[in-house]
Amino acid sequence: MTDTRIALTILGGYLGSGKTTWLRHQLHTGARPHVIVNEAAEMPVDDLLLQGAGGLTVLAGGCACCTGQPALIRTLRQLCDQRSAGAQLSEITLETSGLADPGAIVSAIQSDPILTHHLRLTRIIVMVDSIHGLAQLASDPLGRAQISAADQLILTKTDGTDTAQLQATLRHLNPAALLSATAFGSPIALPAIPAGTSPLTEFGTEAPQITATKLTLPDIDWAALSLWLSALLHVHGDKLVRVKGTVQTPAGRLLIQAVRRTVQPPEILPDHAENALVFIGHGISHTQLTASLARFTH
Amino acid sequence: MCNACGFPARPGHWTDAGLTTPHDRLRARFSRAALLQRLLKPYGLTAHDDGLTGLRLSTLSGASVMVDGLDDLWTKAATLAGRPIDVL
Repeated sequence: MTDTRIALTILGGYLGSGKTTWLRHQLHTGARPHVIVNEAAEMPVDDLLLQGAGGLTVLAGGCACCTGQPALIRTLRQLCDQRSAGAQLSEITLETSGLADPGAIVSAIQSDPILTHHLRLTRIIVMVDSIHGLAQLASDPLGRAQISAADQLILTKTDGTDTAQLQATLRHLNPAALLSATAFGSPIALPAIPAGTSPLTEFGTEAPQITATKLTLPDIDWAALSLWLSALLHVHGDKLVRVKGTVQTPAGRLLIQAVRRTVQPPEILPDHAENALVFIGHGISHTQLTASLARFTH
Repeated sequence: MCNACGFPARPGHWTDAGLTTPHDRLRARFSRAALLQRLLKPYGLTAHDDGLTGLRLSTLSGASVMVDGLDDLWTKAATLAGRPIDVL
C-alpha cells in the first residue's frame, strides 16, 4: 500500500552551520516543499532568503525542541488539516534553530496522536561547520546531540580547512550516518582523510548558557557600526556564537551574518526588514552591548 | 604588492560592503579613522588615515605601524597597547 502521509525532512545543525544556505540551494534547484523555519531569536532573517519555497511558515522567538514545541506541533497540525481539506502538500522541510536537538523534535512529533498518522519522517539532515565544528563538539553537548540524531551529516565550509579530525569524530559519534560535503548547497567531494586519524575523545560536559539578545539600530552610521562589530568580534568572537540581522547602508539593506569571528560577505536584501542585529552567545548581556555601541557612536 | 606599504592587494573586507561609490568608501575611511582616534586614545595610541596608503597606528613614544585592514588593525593595536582593544 502506498504511504500517502506527508514526507517530513528535519534540517538541523549548530548556529551558523549553513542550514539556510543549503536549503536555499535545494529550492533553487527545483525542490518545492513547504518550509517551516524556526528561529530561537525573536527576529527572523532566514525567511527572507527562502522565498522559493512551496509555502513558508516562520516560528520565531522559541526553539522548537523546547519552549517553541507547542507552536511547532500546532503549525504541523494546521498543515495536516489543510492537506486533509484538499490542499496540495506532499513534503515539509523543518529548518530547526541552531539551538535545537532534532531528536527532541522527533520524539514530540511521534508522540502526537494526530501527527503520527499524517507525517512520515524521511530523514534528519544535520549540517556541520568545518571551521568551528570540532570546537563546538568539544565544548557543547548540544552539538553532539545534533550529530547523534542525524541520518545524514553534511560538512560545509571545507575550503582551506583540515577536516580530518572532524570527520573521524563524526564517524565516531554517529557511525551510521551518511557523511557528505557541500559548498554553498552544491555537493562536492568529501575531503580525504589520512589513515589512522584519531577522533576527538575528550568532551566538555558543562554546556555554556547560550542566550539571544536583539539590538535595534535606529539610523546608525554603517562605517561606525561595522568598525564596532569588527572590534567586538575580534575580542569576544569566542563568546558570540552567532550574530545576524539586517542593517541599512548607503548601498541598501545588508544581511549581516557571523559565526564567531568569521563574517560572511554581506548581501543586499529587499528593503523591508527592520534595522537590528541579534547576538547569540554566552557571557555578554544586552546592557553591555547597548552601552558599548552608544559610547562608540555618540 | 603595494610599493608603499608592502601589503598585497586582497578582495574587499566585509565592512566594505554597503559602500558602492568611491565617495562613500573614502568618507567611511575618514569616519572610521576619526572614531578610532577617539577609541584608541585611552590606550595611548593614535590613528591616522591619509586617504592613500592606508591607516597608520602610532604610540605616544613614536613607534608607528601600517595596518592592512580591520582584522590586522585590532591585532597590531593590541600589540602596541599591550592589551586587547575591548569595546565592551
